[in-house]
Amino acid sequence: MTGPAAGSGTIDDALARCADEPIAVPGAVQPHGVLLAVTELDLRVVIASANAEGLFGRAVRGASLAELLDPAGTDRLRDGLAGDPAEVNPLHVEVGGTGVDVVLHRADGLLLTEWEPVEGAGQAGADWHRRLPTVLQRLSAATTLDQLGEVLARDVRALTGFDRVMVYRFDADWNGEVIAEDRRADLEPFLGLRYPAGDIPAQARALYATNWMRLIPDAGYERVPLEPATSPRTGRPLDLSGSMLRSVSPVHLEYLANMGVAASMSISLIDRGRLWGLVACHHYAGPNRPSYADRTAAEFLGRTASLLLRTVVAEGEQGGVVEVAERAVDLAAAVGRTPRALGAALTEREVTVLDLLPAAGAAVRLDGQLRLLGTTPPPERVAELVGALLAADVTATDAASRVVPGAADLVDRAAGVLAVPVGGGDFLAWFRPETLREVTWGGNPYAAELAPTDDGGLRLSPRRSFDAWSETVRGTSQPWRDHEVAAARTLAALLTEAAVNRASEDNRLATALQRTLLLEELPKIPGVALAARYLPSAEDVVGGDWYDLVPLPGGRVSFVLGDVAGHGLAAAAITAQLRHALRAHLLRAPGPGAALDGLNEVIGALLPGELATAVIAEVDPATGDVVVASAGHLPVLHATADGARFLHEGRGPALGLLDAAGYRETRLRLAGEDRLLLFSDGLVERGAGGLDAGMAALQEAVSSGPVQPQALLDAVLGALDPPRTDDITLLAVART
Amino acid sequence: MTFDVARTTVAGRPALTVRGELDIATAPQLTEAADAVLAGSPSALVVDLTPTTFLDSSGARTLIVLARRAAAGGVLLHVVAPRGNRPVRLPLDLLELDSVVSIVDSAAELPAAAGSDAT
Repeated sequence: MTGPAAGSGTIDDALARCADEPIAVPGAVQPHGVLLAVTELDLRVVIASANAEGLFGRAVRGASLAELLDPAGTDRLRDGLAGDPAEVNPLHVEVGGTGVDVVLHRADGLLLTEWEPVEGAGQAGADWHRRLPTVLQRLSAATTLDQLGEVLARDVRALTGFDRVMVYRFDADWNGEVIAEDRRADLEPFLGLRYPAGDIPAQARALYATNWMRLIPDAGYERVPLEPATSPRTGRPLDLSGSMLRSVSPVHLEYLANMGVAASMSISLIDRGRLWGLVACHHYAGPNRPSYADRTAAEFLGRTASLLLRTVVAEGEQGGVVEVAERAVDLAAAVGRTPRALGAALTEREVTVLDLLPAAGAAVRLDGQLRLLGTTPPPERVAELVGALLAADVTATDAASRVVPGAADLVDRAAGVLAVPVGGGDFLAWFRPETLREVTWGGNPYAAELAPTDDGGLRLSPRRSFDAWSETVRGTSQPWRDHEVAAARTLAALLTEAAVNRASEDNRLATALQRTLLLEELPKIPGVALAARYLPSAEDVVGGDWYDLVPLPGGRVSFVLGDVAGHGLAAAAITAQLRHALRAHLLRAPGPGAALDGLNEVIGALLPGELATAVIAEVDPATGDVVVASAGHLPVLHATADGARFLHEGRGPALGLLDAAGYRETRLRLAGEDRLLLFSDGLVERGAGGLDAGMAALQEAVSSGPVQPQALLDAVLGALDPPRTDDITLLAVART
Repeated sequence: MTFDVARTTVAGRPALTVRGELDIATAPQLTEAADAVLAGSPSALVVDLTPTTFLDSSGARTLIVLARRAAAGGVLLHVVAPRGNRPVRLPLDLLELDSVVSIVDSAAELPAAAGSDAT
């Protein structure tokens, strides 16, 4: 054995010794009763506590209980042993003219009989039994842990007369917290105090998990040894773990003395086989010994409360669950209603993302746009902090600065962070400020004291001061609860899904829009043969091409092919506007050049910054006269019997470049089997050799191609085989 | 072909030299680089498309947007696009972009930079 020495090793040694203390087999009992261990068949006394002679007035070892009891008592004892001894407890007998409660249980192959004089015991019982239904009703009516604890403490105290009755709850580390208390009015409250795990060592907790009740009527007692010290049956000290008279650890008595406790009792609270807490009773005025019946009643309350714990605790932990769920539904509905304005749906309505769960601030980053609600770090710090947490795979933390040390200065706003990714660098986050969490300990858990033992070793000594000792846990927020984290994740998943749906819906919309820009069926125009092809890009991204065919007064027809710069929904929407605007201008304007002037004004006024090209061929089917005007578009190809020629006249700048462009026109005549080809850049610009080569190949394909427009377009597409990176539009016109 | 916008000097002026295909996918990089230069309020800016291999309508649109921003900031914008670089020059000509921005065949056609003969 090492001597007293500084360092944690000595404390560990002392704790180990404490943990080793044989509390179930102390070899002694408390003096408020007598223990006799007897063989079961002949009831002969094998082991007796040293105070037995005082009760019975004679030596008892070797004697039969039949000699110590009257015949009626012996008969009742034997009847009890035939069934469950617990059902006869206590057996009321007379010993030497004194009423004695005898309590039976079996251990180590012997029958242990404990004899406790009724005289001197508190007697609340008779009166109390009539109140039992009311007490049970109060216990079962409790809907919160606080209520259950209060009822339990009050009724155990009413029953047993202790000065103070506390309900303890153990945390995951076996630290105890006083969650309810009933006490003599003049005593200082212990409610809310915490006791470190070491105050009730592991082997004591193990005992408490099977033995529901302990009583020390007089903490200043002198232990009464058992004789003989070891059982002749087993050669070991008698197992007293089920004994009500069991002498307790001297460490425990010292602990009680330090607290000024003269008598104590405790009842286990056990939830599904696990020690959940204790009902701890203290008496300060002097010894206190409730009668066996009253103790049994108190134990019954403890057992009843234990059964109720599960429900009440579960209900308590559901507090807030309903509220969070309701708001989650509300937000989900808003997201569903306005999938194109998710940021607004989460931050600008009556119920915001900050209302989803208890937090001081929230951040929403959607489509790269950050919105902040409530009390949060500044925007750039939010992105940095949340990014670092998500990179570390941390969803919820009540101490963000432990994960991201650089965020230590943010504890007043974001000591705790709950962050969920939404995809594409977007996220939702909630923030909680630092809670100066006052942990009130019954003693300083880091200052266990060592006291020398008789053999020169060290024994863990209970702390001499039980003044409340506060530990402030800095940089920590209220913890995030599981259902809150789950609600955050669910909302994030919903947003991710909405974003995906929106992208595919965008494309569907654009495709639908695009279809309205193209003609489902080309109208039959007397004297004109025409064909059109529209090939969307292989990436299924809608481009800005459009074509149109506008019959004009007097029998002329305008053929239009245009292209808006850009892709996707925005381009498709602009395309639709331009197409309809151009139709209106074509119907009013004296010619295609003037129509392009009008369209150019539309872009300049309504769509500044947009760029589009368009070419118009106005055909008179009766004469074959054609007027062409182009706004920055690829030239129209005119195929005749002599070959194909690009029209480089009748041009002007792209739409949107100049406020007033003044588009020129050029004229030609479609004779015989002449054809006009209008096309978009997708046909010619991306091939090997670029635009020049593409246009040359087109010229060649048209020159040598078939006359009939449909066949011509098939031949052109076959010859050029343009890559499908952009949308491709072709329009061929001939006279019939 | 990788796309790249480099900050260079052409004819004594701050310039952005565009390599690779200037199209809807890469045009935003040119906008970003140009905004960075324009933020410094230079007297002129050259966009050199000599090593550019392709230009689509989105690329052209970007040049127009740059031309407008430059004009608004009092910055003279020049685009260098050699006639020999047909994939780039042809669309510029078809769109008649020279109606809104100065397009030159080579750096040699640029007037002397204000700073170079002011000694």
